[in-house]
Amino acid sequence: MQFKVKGKIIYLDKKIDSLDFFVKEFVSVLDKLNIDYVIISGYIAILFGRSRNTEDVDFFINRLSLEKFTLVWRTLIQKYECLNTKDFNDAYDYLVNGSGLRFSREGEYIPNIELKFVKTSLDIFCLNNKLIIEVNQEYRINTSVLELQIAFKLYLGSDKDLEDARHLWIFFRKYLNMEEIIHFCNELKVKVEVIDRIVR
Amino acid sequence: MNKKNLKIDLDEIRESVERNRKERLEFVEKYAEWLRKKADKK
Repeated sequence: MQFKVKGKIIYLDKKIDSLDFFVKEFVSVLDKLNIDYVIISGYIAILFGRSRNTEDVDFFINRLSLEKFTLVWRTLIQKYECLNTKDFNDAYDYLVNGSGLRFSREGEYIPNIELKFVKTSLDIFCLNNKLIIEVNQEYRINTSVLELQIAFKLYLGSDKDLEDARHLWIFFRKYLNMEEIIHFCNELKVKVEVIDRIVR
Repeated sequence: MNKKNLKIDLDEIRESVERNRKERLEFVEKYAEWLRKKADKK
């Protein structure tokens, strides 16, 4: 695996696996629908080599009107199965109420995409502060700034999250802004000893 | 990035994280059920 960072774009060269291909396909559907999105959390650490599996890939999108969602829903269910519900109105209610809709390939439960409308100030910040990852000069995906993702993983604090944060920190240390990580950690009231253990 | 634009409401974040945990557990249960049904069919 090789990568370089230029401004807000990370150019990544790697051998893509089935999960990467699944994400690539889903992103191409969103791109065709002109839906702005960010992918956050575990998949990003995995994309950059973290050695673990995941069942789902988390996407945030802007809240869609019912009309726009109709188009999105019709397009997605041609290719994917919604694991929460088969009913369009229920699906929209899930999203509006802050829950995630899970989409897998037909007849497969895993992996799946967990799609959510942005709800909290943090979600909105993620969507408005994107980082682009260009994979193998073939396709691009959007994620949010890594400093915030690391801080949020420190806030969540499970072993898995701390290890993801550590992986991203070590992998991107040269490019990360420590002052921003500390700022986000302070906002999230992350304990100093957790910060010291993972990102120093 | 203007990080000062981010005003974090920790109660809002806690609520969101709690909801995620609950839904994640529901997903694990549904997946286990799906796998069991699939195994029963064989």
